[in-house]
Amino acid sequence: MAKPRNRMHFKENITGYAFITPYLLLFIVFTGIPFICSILFSFTNLTYISKLDNLKLVGLANYIKMFQSPEVMAALGRTFLYSIVYVPVIMVLGFALAMIVNKGIHCKGAIRGMVFLPYVSNMVAVAVIFKIILGPSGPFYQILQFLGVENPPLPLLSDKLALPAVALIAVWKGVGLNMITYLGALQNVPAELDEAAQIDGANKWQRIKNVVIPMISPTTFFLIISSIITSLQNFTVIQSLTEGGPGQSTTVMALSIVRTAFVQNNTGFASAQAMIVFLIVMIITLIQWRGQKKWVNY
Amino acid sequence: MYKKNKVLSWILTIVMLLIGLLCIYPFIFMLSSSFKVSGDVLQKPFQIIPNPVTFENIKGLFHSDYYNFPKWYVNTVMMTGITIIIKLFLITFTAYGFSKVRFKGRDAIFLVLLAAMMIPADIMILPRYMIFKNLKLLNSMWAIIIPSCVDVYFVFLLRQAFISVPESISEAAKIDGCNHFTIYWRIITPLAKPSIATMVLFSFVWTWNDYMSPYLYISDINKQMLSVGIKLFSAGQVQDYGSQMAAATLVLLPIIFVFLFCQRFFIENATSSGVKG
Repeated sequence: MAKPRNRMHFKENITGYAFITPYLLLFIVFTGIPFICSILFSFTNLTYISKLDNLKLVGLANYIKMFQSPEVMAALGRTFLYSIVYVPVIMVLGFALAMIVNKGIHCKGAIRGMVFLPYVSNMVAVAVIFKIILGPSGPFYQILQFLGVENPPLPLLSDKLALPAVALIAVWKGVGLNMITYLGALQNVPAELDEAAQIDGANKWQRIKNVVIPMISPTTFFLIISSIITSLQNFTVIQSLTEGGPGQSTTVMALSIVRTAFVQNNTGFASAQAMIVFLIVMIITLIQWRGQKKWVNY
Repeated sequence: MYKKNKVLSWILTIVMLLIGLLCIYPFIFMLSSSFKVSGDVLQKPFQIIPNPVTFENIKGLFHSDYYNFPKWYVNTVMMTGITIIIKLFLITFTAYGFSKVRFKGRDAIFLVLLAAMMIPADIMILPRYMIFKNLKLLNSMWAIIIPSCVDVYFVFLLRQAFISVPESISEAAKIDGCNHFTIYWRIITPLAKPSIATMVLFSFVWTWNDYMSPYLYISDINKQMLSVGIKLFSAGQVQDYGSQMAAATLVLLPIIFVFLFCQRFFIENATSSGVKG
């Protein structure tokens, strides 16, 4: 009886590959090869115009050049600064909003919808709106003036405020998702636990601190990691709002990579910068895998 | 105690409504301003109902000599539609292979795909640009459609959905003489409709909103998409706030419309499907 079974296995194998081959081919050509190429490029002197016969392996030269380049290091610093604003604000705000909505308020559906709407909206169109709202004599300016601030700042046009302003607009856009995710987690916290703590005499803050926060720690952990990764991929947000300006004040890694590649035509150097971002994401992901076991209370 | 709770819950409701209004304020501002004469957009105090109401801003978008809004609109609708149709077939087909057919190497290949999900798309723009150039796909909508279609995320999502369909259903169909393709098309796909709908909705939103791909891969202004188009437009009409807002309305309207009708669906599935952002 071995033969028919083998034939069946063979047929199953063929069918299986028939199902996945179209996707797999596209995946290899448009993700697999590009990924390997981007690693290889970072070790070459590839420029966009250069013919391939001038191509040379330059070892770590691009990486050394990068760490010696004040522009790239500044862009890396701004990327961190952006994350340092974005991640804590979106985490705290998302949690706070979810706690309030979970407390049994009215118009729950409408409120969830309002907070979530920015998440699905088009960043570029939204940027056009924000540029007017935050622009010269826009509503933001008017309100500050009304509140008695002399010479109100124009956040997107100021060297110092542009980066935090852009990060906060990104928070506005993304906080709905964090809120919804937290809401799902909060609804899974057993009511008995909270009641038990209440009977034991714990006050509201103690209950949040000792019951709710530990119970939802897997969600928190997951959201922190995904918020960090989102904050590193901020090309669209920044390009649409400030294009890296004013001056260089919002030129983060994502913008630096695109400029080095498409404006300065220095593909090898741009790839090395991309690799650094990739390494950071990899490290964060690894922390996620290992940390899930260690830091999270289920 | 009960009464106190009731008062508290109304206070919280009002607070949250205010926060909610703050969240949608830019959209209200946009909608209202797109029917205002440009000089009225920044009038003090802000008036929700425009006075006078004008349709010139919107008309202007369709009669501009330099900015081909109707063309961008058609391009974006076509590109988004084609992406969704391809994904409907390609992703379900692939997910079926990874969930319901037992073949050698299946899990190993899937693991590689999962690992690839961690690669930030940003690092692949340069090699992709070169590949598109060599395949003569630059300056065509395919340079946007293809990267979106090879996204692993929905293969993963639909594979999960297909796995949750009991194996006994497939077994019964096999005994009745169905082959894999019939099972895929007639049984599994219809049973996984909610997950497929999730894919369609989120693909619609992400593809419609995609800025980076058209920005990098399309240079011909007539083949451009709305996301890039509106940026060009607003940069060219610096002072004309009314027109800028009308353009933003045009870009956002389909998304807001779909969101209003499928709000529950979006929100309930956001946690499982939207998290990749």
